[in-house]
Amino acid sequence: MTITLEEASRRVGVSPTTLRRWVRRGLVPQYQDSWTPAAVGHARVVARMRERGHSLADIRRATEEGRLAFGFLDQLFPLALPRYTVEQASLQAGLEPGLARKIITGLGIGPEQAKMLSEDDVQLLRYVAAVVESGFPVAALLALARVYGQAMAQVADAEVRLFHLYVHEPLMRSGSAGIETAEQMHALSRDVLPLAAPVLDQVHQRYLQHFVEQDVVGHMESDLDGSAVDLGRMRVAIAFADLAGYTRLTEEQGELTAVDAVERFIEGVEITLPDGARINKTIGDEVMIVSSDPASLTDWAVGFQRLQSERPLPRIGIHHGAALYRDGDYYGRDVNIASRVAARSAGGEVLVTRSVVEQAGSHLEFERIAEVKLKGFSDSTEIFIARQRPQQ
Amino acid sequence: MTGFRSEQEFRHVMDLTFGLMSEDPEIGPKLRDADTPQRFEFTDMDLVVNIRAGGPDEPNLTWEWSDEIDWEPKVKMAMTSETANRYFQGKENVAIAIARRRIKAGGDVKAALAIIPITKPLFAHYRKMIATDYPHLEV
Repeated sequence: MTITLEEASRRVGVSPTTLRRWVRRGLVPQYQDSWTPAAVGHARVVARMRERGHSLADIRRATEEGRLAFGFLDQLFPLALPRYTVEQASLQAGLEPGLARKIITGLGIGPEQAKMLSEDDVQLLRYVAAVVESGFPVAALLALARVYGQAMAQVADAEVRLFHLYVHEPLMRSGSAGIETAEQMHALSRDVLPLAAPVLDQVHQRYLQHFVEQDVVGHMESDLDGSAVDLGRMRVAIAFADLAGYTRLTEEQGELTAVDAVERFIEGVEITLPDGARINKTIGDEVMIVSSDPASLTDWAVGFQRLQSERPLPRIGIHHGAALYRDGDYYGRDVNIASRVAARSAGGEVLVTRSVVEQAGSHLEFERIAEVKLKGFSDSTEIFIARQRPQQ
Repeated sequence: MTGFRSEQEFRHVMDLTFGLMSEDPEIGPKLRDADTPQRFEFTDMDLVVNIRAGGPDEPNLTWEWSDEIDWEPKVKMAMTSETANRYFQGKENVAIAIARRRIKAGGDVKAALAIIPITKPLFAHYRKMIATDYPHLEV
């Protein structure tokens, strides 16, 4: 597919004269007497580099080393025309412009990108309009848009970073020429990228089914025990777990060893968690776990510690309470208590609060070790160490 | 109550299960690579089985229903036949079973942790096998 110089100039956002100069100086190796999507794509990367103040010599060197081998992206994500402003797109979708703008902002689309919405974005707003039409609360919809935006940004960021680490870097180190690197990356991306959407869709379906079941069970149990909580709050068991001495391990044995230990730890948590529990998030070596069932979560924690045989040992703190649920995360006093309790535990220990002790099984024993004012709290909290009851 | 009808039936089902693991193209080679000799004691049946990765001319797994072996187990687990049956159907969480003393683990338990994800695909095969031939074991 050949593109005229004028069209290439428009797509890259620089004058035809500038494009010709870049070609003469070898900045666009994909240009072979005509403008192709790959050449335009590479020129767009060069333009971004120029905007960031890099010299033509630096850009040529980076091109030769294969560092800018992303020109193929224009073929994978072709520039879709026509373009719409938020007002035009919301008119097409039958959505109130103010709400459309909030949804777009919530999804994480910045003001500049929002001036150039595509036909696919208009379709997205049509779906939103249909959801609003069905009576779904707008406040919940905006919260969902933020969750979708953040989650997808994290997914895409991970995809690009892992592609860079495991594909781009090794290709560059192998000494391949820049153009060869670009071609290999293009071939792999073309084969792999289309698989991401169906995989994400399937994972989403599985989690949706899981959480719908959890929600139904949660409703039934709160009806049965009469422990209704305020609107927007959910009664959950919250555990924080991390590796004791992680900072020291990093200092003594280096970052790679420490990161390996964290990966093994998080993988160990993932493969052993009971059905009702899940990792809500990870922050460095710390894992936040939520569960509808404090008893099984405490059992898991005690059993998980029994499965550890080498340092750094995990330390775990658990609390059961009413957490404020917002934008896919849990907040509030009870979450903070769980975090503070975990911070007080030592490697190999499981510390819990009284609300956990009251719901735990008789096969565990709880030793009350302190009644302390946790950091940031005015009233005191009882802390117990959980362990297996000695055999009779 | 679901359970094995006899020691012979239990041993036969376990032989079939270890065979499934050994021959499965996904599980078998991974267990061979993991190279983690395990000793399982089935307390209610008074049976012991030792399993290890196969040598170069052997299948992926080899096992002996005895402690008369010429290798040293790395991981030791003790459980009832009922817990084993639940585990192979994917109905027994190992961490919780350890906390509740349904499974007693010893030795290099970290190595046992590494094997759990490898054996997960077995559960579907085991459920299919008992649904067809041993429906009284379904939980």
